[in-house]
Amino acid sequence: MSGIVLTPRGAFEARVDLTGALPGADLASLKIGYGGRRVALAELFEISGAADGRLTVAGGGVELDNVAAGLTDGEVVVEGDVGARLAQGATGGAVLVKGSAGDYAASELAGGKVTVEGDVGERLGAASAGARRGMSGGVVTVGGSAGVRAAERQRGGVIVVKGDTAEGAATDMIAGTLAVGGALGAKAGRGMKRGTLLLHSPEGLAAGFADAGEHDLVMLRVLVRRSAELAAFLGADATRARRFAGDLNAAGQGEALVFSR
Amino acid sequence: MILNGVEIRDSFAEAFPMVGTRLIITADTAKWAMIAAKTMTGFATSVIGCGCEAGVEREIPAEETPDGRPGVAVLIFAMDIKGLKSVVPNRIGQCVLTSPTSACYAGMEGGESISIGKALKYFGDGWQIAKKVGDKRIWRVPVMEGEFVCDHETGSVSGVGGGNVLILGASRREALEAAEAAVEAMSKVPGNILPFPGGVVRSGSKVGSKYKGMFASTNNFYCPTLRAQTETKLPPEVASVQEIVIDGVSFDAVSACTRAGIEAVVKLGRDKGIIAIDAGNYGGNLGPFHFKLREIMA
Repeated sequence: MSGIVLTPRGAFEARVDLTGALPGADLASLKIGYGGRRVALAELFEISGAADGRLTVAGGGVELDNVAAGLTDGEVVVEGDVGARLAQGATGGAVLVKGSAGDYAASELAGGKVTVEGDVGERLGAASAGARRGMSGGVVTVGGSAGVRAAERQRGGVIVVKGDTAEGAATDMIAGTLAVGGALGAKAGRGMKRGTLLLHSPEGLAAGFADAGEHDLVMLRVLVRRSAELAAFLGADATRARRFAGDLNAAGQGEALVFSR
Repeated sequence: MILNGVEIRDSFAEAFPMVGTRLIITADTAKWAMIAAKTMTGFATSVIGCGCEAGVEREIPAEETPDGRPGVAVLIFAMDIKGLKSVVPNRIGQCVLTSPTSACYAGMEGGESISIGKALKYFGDGWQIAKKVGDKRIWRVPVMEGEFVCDHETGSVSGVGGGNVLILGASRREALEAAEAAVEAMSKVPGNILPFPGGVVRSGSKVGSKYKGMFASTNNFYCPTLRAQTETKLPPEVASVQEIVIDGVSFDAVSACTRAGIEAVVKLGRDKGIIAIDAGNYGGNLGPFHFKLREIMA
């Protein structure tokens, strides 16, 4: 295990705000939120290793909020679960969570790669409270399923959910791409302005989506060659899809492309 | 310098700075990719009358193109960036967007950006779709056939225009056969185009004219039929001259292309009616790039 390693000294008794705990930061003097208090990072974690652009949290926890929030470069690895706002507002770098993540994971992400091997909570890649737009760039891959309103008001970037999405995925989506490998929850794409949903079934799409027929799309050939994540999702030879336009009830020009398995 | 009986004259090609870009044109078949490429690089032999110089650089196998279909790389050169920004979207819009199954992608990074989809998206009349993956944006413009896909923009490079080789032959047939051999060899050198018909110019020009408003006129010093009337640079046994003009992305590219062409002609030799290799210049005072034939062949 290279780089800096944070090993929890014990079980957490309150939520831990890891804002600022990033590769390259002065972790020895960093103060973090712990419940209603500010404490030294070293009070909760044993800090070991040498800085080389990689930060590992050896043992996660659902209490760990804001992990890799604002990350600009380097790599963050969590060997367990994390709490809310994973990689919120990050602009670069790579994040790997070997467990599951809480609500608002990758919300307002602008760049970099975020991978969650397990499930994520509500509003993956969405806009946080008070924000107008959700994720605007970068790539998010979720190995499991996502909670309600994944990609709500997403503005750009690529989200791949290998499992299911709960109700309201891509609500008010502005642009970007959401790929769902499993089942799509109800009312997906409601209010969608632009953007693309990549699906294996139209089941779950909001009422404002209309079938535009099956097409051989050159664009798909480009996507799978420029995005390893989409190539893994669609297969390298994907060219044909059934196109549903929507949300027409909101005068939207988004689309859902449905691929037969 | 004599190579295989062919005199390499102590001369040089005088070339000028141009700004250029590369585009990758793809289609469902190699045939249609080439049709689109040749159409969009048509009427682009000389900036004097065409506003740009363009040509096919090479065919690209499907596995190397951005969409996995057969492709063709084209190079387009103009005298300045403003000119290039004008001609590239126009030519793509009229010749590639219109060509069945085609798509158009950036062929180079860096330099000042040249619009592709950034300009052509408006043909979609509001139905166009942008898709950004990584740091690249593509446009999907709905057309009657389906969708025209293109990159948002391409890069540009400071290149070299007007490299040239003159082939002095004992007959019209022999000079042209040598020119064809040279073109075949030069077309394999990456980073260059030979913008004239089939890569060959039979009407090389000099700067200026006796007529007002003419920027260029026939190069009488190399016209075999004018021997008795004007100063000539042709030996008595030369009956025909063909020129090959080269535009390239760098001095080195044009230099390598020049050498490949001369080597192909020299290989034919004096026995095939090739008397000498020469080059066009203006005394060295106009163009900053000098391709000295004997240094290139040394």
